[in-house]
Amino acid sequence: MIVDFSPLWINWRFIVQAIGVTLVLSALSILLGLAIGVVCGVLRTYGGRLLDIIIGLYVDVFRSIPVLAVLIWIYFAFPLIIGQSLEPIAAGAIGLGIHLGAYVCETIRGGLTSIRSGQMRAALALGMSKAQAIRKIILPQAFVRILPPLGSLLVLAIKDSAIASVIAAPELLRQSQTLAGKTFRPFEIYSAAMLIYFLICYPVARLIDRLYRRLAPLGAS
Amino acid sequence: MTLDWSVVWDNRFRLLDGAAMTILLAVTTMAIAIPGGLLLAFLRLSPWRGVSATATAIVEFFRATPLILQIYWVFYVLPAAFDIGFSEFTTAIVGLSLNVSAFNSETFRAGILSIRQGQWNAGLALGMSKPQVMRQIILPQAVLRVLPSLASTWVSLFKDTSLVSIIAVADLSYVALKVRSESFRILEVLTAMAGLYLLMGYPQAKLVDWLHRKYKVVE
Repeated sequence: MIVDFSPLWINWRFIVQAIGVTLVLSALSILLGLAIGVVCGVLRTYGGRLLDIIIGLYVDVFRSIPVLAVLIWIYFAFPLIIGQSLEPIAAGAIGLGIHLGAYVCETIRGGLTSIRSGQMRAALALGMSKAQAIRKIILPQAFVRILPPLGSLLVLAIKDSAIASVIAAPELLRQSQTLAGKTFRPFEIYSAAMLIYFLICYPVARLIDRLYRRLAPLGAS
Repeated sequence: MTLDWSVVWDNRFRLLDGAAMTILLAVTTMAIAIPGGLLLAFLRLSPWRGVSATATAIVEFFRATPLILQIYWVFYVLPAAFDIGFSEFTTAIVGLSLNVSAFNSETFRAGILSIRQGQWNAGLALGMSKPQVMRQIILPQAVLRVLPSLASTWVSLFKDTSLVSIIAVADLSYVALKVRSESFRILEVLTAMAGLYLLMGYPQAKLVDWLHRKYKVVE
């Protein structure tokens, strides 16, 4: 097998752009996922029975359906309902975000329930409202404790952004396919793409590990 | 907008075949990835630095890159490297197994390391050899501890099998996308696909929750 990496050099602008789209898509889906996850996690834990059931349903649905199916459905089927087509990147960010939100919700809930109930009682006894206690006492400690699983979810979100290639979002994997088709060098191009993803994901994982080691004492109670 | 669900009913056997393929992919992959993960875990715990470093590099690499790209990569690299074409199914199994083995190895390693050192010492003090201690004392306890994580990996794997549709393995997603493009009943077919995944995945997710509650580690 003859290996020739020159298509990578020739098309470096194209690849850099694709990396940019991957980063933007990951960032959007992570922001959306965190927002949904934090709100749903808090509401599911403290919001009473009805909200627990409704959010539980959302979580279970998205834990059971593959991201691929979610993305395809939002890109191809959802526009038929709303009568307006969606941009691939927007559809990708929404699908990935809603999917991620379900996992973040469960992680947050796990963190919140792991904080001893005495802390909530102490805060209430000090005259804080329930919302204040959650925001200032419970959530900060819970965040430190769930940092490791949250870190895995962030890395997962970056990796899952590659699945948006099936709905033609011009991110790294999609553009690699385009290049591979044009240059007939799939081995070199997919290997390079693999390396790029590794260089994005691995430092994120290590960074969160280190952050956690620094912050871990703050989550102990 | 008018909905016509008859297209789903007319293609029910194809969709069910696709679902069967999804199950077959998940089962075959897990059957390979459990011994594969165990092997990688042992290599990582090996006292020889060269061996453990290589195993660590492999595991970290497969955990930090997208599975969908790994599948493409295997699809193009396998035939070039071995100079023979593999069927799409074999390619899919190779790609999925490599990925899940890496994740399983972390689970197994954590399970083995979670058993306290005193158990090793006690076993060795009783005159057992190291492999004996591993086989008869450590592993049986570790198995129970890793069961919940292993079950979570299984559910992820079950969903991730959908990614092999990109290399034309006739799993549920592939069949659904095909029916969609033949019938143009996009909303009905794709909703049916999501519904079938939900039907299969929901009980599994609940089972995992139950396992997590039942086998929670209390020391």
